[in-house]
Amino acid sequence: MREGHFGFLEALSLMVIVLINKIFFTSPMTLIEKLGTSAWLGTLISCLASLSFFGLLYLLMKRFNGQDLFQIFETVTGKLVGRGLIFLISLYFLYYTAINAQEFAAILKAYSLPYTPIYLIVLPLLVIAAAMTYVGLEGIARVAYVFVFPIFGGLVLILVLAFPVYDWDYLRPLFGYGLDTTIGIGLLRSSAYSEIIFLAIIINSIHGLKYFRRVGISALLICGLVFSLCCACILAAFQYPSSSEHLSGMFQLSRVIYYSRFFQRIEAIFLFIWVFASVITIAIGFYISLKAYCRAFLIKNHRPLLFSILLLTSAVCFLPRSFPEILQIHVRVIREFSFLLIYLVPILVLLVAVILRRGGTSNDKSL
Amino acid sequence: MLVSEKKKQQSPILKILSLITYKKTSRPRSFVLPEQNEGQEGGDNSQNYQAPEGRGNEETQSEGKKRTKTLRKPLSPSQVKSGRRDVNEVKNDIDSNLEMIRQQFNVPQNKDLVIREFILARDKRGFIAYLDGMVDKTVINEHILRPLFDLSTSDLAGDSNSTTLALENIVETNDVKKLKNFKKVFAEILKGNTVLYVDGLDYFLACESIGFEMRSIETPKTEGVVKGSQEGFSENLRTNISLIRRIIKNKDLISEFFEIGEKSSTTCAVVYLQDLINPSILEEVRRRISSIKTDFLVSSGMLEQFIEDSPYSIIPTTLSTERPDRTASHLVEGKAAILMDGAPFAIVVPVTLNEIMHSPEDAALKWQYATSLRVIRFFAFAFAALLPGLYLALTTFHREMIPTDLLIAIAEAKENVPFPTLVEVILMELGFELIREAGIRIPGIIGNTLGIIGALILGEAAVSANIVSPVLIVIVAATGLSNFAIPNYSLAFGVRLLRFYFIIAGCFLGFYGLALALVVFVLMLVNLKSFGIPYLSIVAPRNKKSKDAVVRWPIWMQEERPDYLNTLDSRRQPEISRQWTQEDAPEPSGAGRNKDQGPAQQAPAGRNQNTGKEKESSD
Repeated sequence: MREGHFGFLEALSLMVIVLINKIFFTSPMTLIEKLGTSAWLGTLISCLASLSFFGLLYLLMKRFNGQDLFQIFETVTGKLVGRGLIFLISLYFLYYTAINAQEFAAILKAYSLPYTPIYLIVLPLLVIAAAMTYVGLEGIARVAYVFVFPIFGGLVLILVLAFPVYDWDYLRPLFGYGLDTTIGIGLLRSSAYSEIIFLAIIINSIHGLKYFRRVGISALLICGLVFSLCCACILAAFQYPSSSEHLSGMFQLSRVIYYSRFFQRIEAIFLFIWVFASVITIAIGFYISLKAYCRAFLIKNHRPLLFSILLLTSAVCFLPRSFPEILQIHVRVIREFSFLLIYLVPILVLLVAVILRRGGTSNDKSL
Repeated sequence: MLVSEKKKQQSPILKILSLITYKKTSRPRSFVLPEQNEGQEGGDNSQNYQAPEGRGNEETQSEGKKRTKTLRKPLSPSQVKSGRRDVNEVKNDIDSNLEMIRQQFNVPQNKDLVIREFILARDKRGFIAYLDGMVDKTVINEHILRPLFDLSTSDLAGDSNSTTLALENIVETNDVKKLKNFKKVFAEILKGNTVLYVDGLDYFLACESIGFEMRSIETPKTEGVVKGSQEGFSENLRTNISLIRRIIKNKDLISEFFEIGEKSSTTCAVVYLQDLINPSILEEVRRRISSIKTDFLVSSGMLEQFIEDSPYSIIPTTLSTERPDRTASHLVEGKAAILMDGAPFAIVVPVTLNEIMHSPEDAALKWQYATSLRVIRFFAFAFAALLPGLYLALTTFHREMIPTDLLIAIAEAKENVPFPTLVEVILMELGFELIREAGIRIPGIIGNTLGIIGALILGEAAVSANIVSPVLIVIVAATGLSNFAIPNYSLAFGVRLLRFYFIIAGCFLGFYGLALALVVFVLMLVNLKSFGIPYLSIVAPRNKKSKDAVVRWPIWMQEERPDYLNTLDSRRQPEISRQWTQEDAPEPSGAGRNKDQGPAQQAPAGRNQNTGKEKESSD
């Protein structure tokens, strides 16, 4: 597969966009629904939990310096089990891509393109994601770096322009339904940051462990803070009962921006940043799924498989029969339970490696 | 039996069946160009005609098959050349050499080649050959022939070697070359030089006599500037290189020559600064140019297409300029310029999108002006590509974004227009392109007038006839203006095409479609390369911060050359280039008067500020 190399900022942009993408969709709503006014705190707890998981992942990667996660799976668990695990990850990311695409399409249809058939929204998105995968990881990372500025610029603009509607009293009580609930749900939803595992898969493209650690920690911290800030702003603007009913809190926030008769209802312009973020997220999910599949079955060239995987993703995409089904089952699986695969499997592999004394500690002084 | 008689004898059933069954029609034989030597081998001109498919005659079919077998793959010009016997060596016999030149230049059929035979002292025969119209006849008469005819017998005494020696000294042209190879002799004649041969010698003397008519140096047509040089390249390669040399007076400025085109033998020059350019880039330029195999090359645009990295990209990956000063400024950045005989343009490689968006005038303007102009240009790029698409998306999908008053105005204007917005936009865009194309094709001032009048009349008439709404006229005009603000012709062309791509994207999926189209466009850009250099360098991949990207920092702060070029010498100037800011100003001539002034008044402006680089920037 064509992977290429890219630098710190490109890798950081890619990870930040992928992690932050869900802020535009149903994540804030679900979080607020579960945690009430402490949603902003809950996501910080999720972020801290993810940082801890990332620390363990770092230990694993450090133990097998120079190898990516898939190679480590094979080295530690043997070829058969290792490839089985890789195939599992491929299937998961195919599912992840499809559900993300479907969630995006459903929200877009609800807010902006009510008369457009859903397949007309999903298919171009998947085709472009496939085109990005065709180009390779380096291309995706560079596109991410180009678009990270408008995405963040747009996000800041929404938060700043909606300032007049904020009432910070709406954030009380600070601990929502209680600190224990906040911590519990916060830990459970650490899966929302599970995309950080991409770094372990593409580690050889980001110049190894040094960037892996820096990018991972920076991306998690940035996203945690931005996510928390956005949740706080949504809560401050709409109060928690209303916030838990808005499919996309950020879209709703952009809708309430009003400065004069001329400067209002500008939410459509922010569609651009959502689309940029979503395309990049879906493209990287697609790429990882394809890469894992190729690795599992020792296929060197990924390009002939693009169409088949595209077809498969489209099929999975149209499996859910309704939007509530997407929200209550599929998105929940990804954002709440994916840690079982994404975090626990590498931790188990690390344990096996320690028990079986496979791999060694890195002597890299630069770390 | 005749066909009509046969038809009469057919049964009615067969007649009916013949109406619905397939019949092979007999067509006249079509002309097929014979392959190399085919006509000679066959000796029959009728073989040039190939029987059409499906002829009923068996005999003809078998002939056709035979001919198919004998058909050969067309020979390439190089194969044809290699097939000939080795004729390159110059003989020491005047008749053989004369015959060779006559044969190769198809004399007497070819009237351009002039062969002037003469007899020198001691009955030595000789001749000169040149192409009429390509030479300066005064040089031939005064500096080649006259010295030869003035020779006395003693001048040509001795063996053949000493004769040659004498000849070289006798001919009075500034450049004389000894040529033992006929290929080189022919090349010199084709360039416009005169070749001289005297019986007994085993080589020709090529005397410089180029003197054909050419256009003088004129103001650049497509890259005009207010502040800056007013010289543009002409069609003469030597003149163009000299224009660059006049700007860069450096012994390391190298020009390498290549011949391209089997038939046209066009001379191309790769110009570069040896102590700056990255050797890998230079090697790649050489490799691409020397490996071109074609028969005809006449413009730099054709050469661009042969050497560019991504032929399918609608955005140019080379910079074509007709300005020697711009070419020179790129050369001192560490790039290569490719010039071609007969083309008033230089191709600069490698380039990035950022550099293509720069104007030649930028460096001559104060940094504040240049930066603001660049920002306008980048906006113009975005407008030229996106504005009609955005309008379409807004009016079709996102009407809520348009303020109510404006929406009512647009709706009122559109009330009587029967077409959907997409048709309106396409009609107007095509109309605009039509006016522009017609304006270019119509010569002189009429073209410009037609452009303005055409646009006014067509726009006004279209609005009056309720074909388009007035708002759209504004949109199309703004788009057209933005397109003209793009400083590179090829890029502007690319953006014109891109506009239609975004129109379609905006029309079908609104802002969502536009955003997707933008992602694809950026994906294409990040994957483009110009001679190995990523096209979006500085941004993606991110390089060392440039002080000459969108924001053009003051010229004295631009200490380094572009990072992505990896030049042999990355430093352009020392950290403090304005050395005068570090020195005391000389005492004013009226020293006595200054004694009365306070210390603050005596200090020259800027003197106290310049203790370091940071201080310099505060000027």
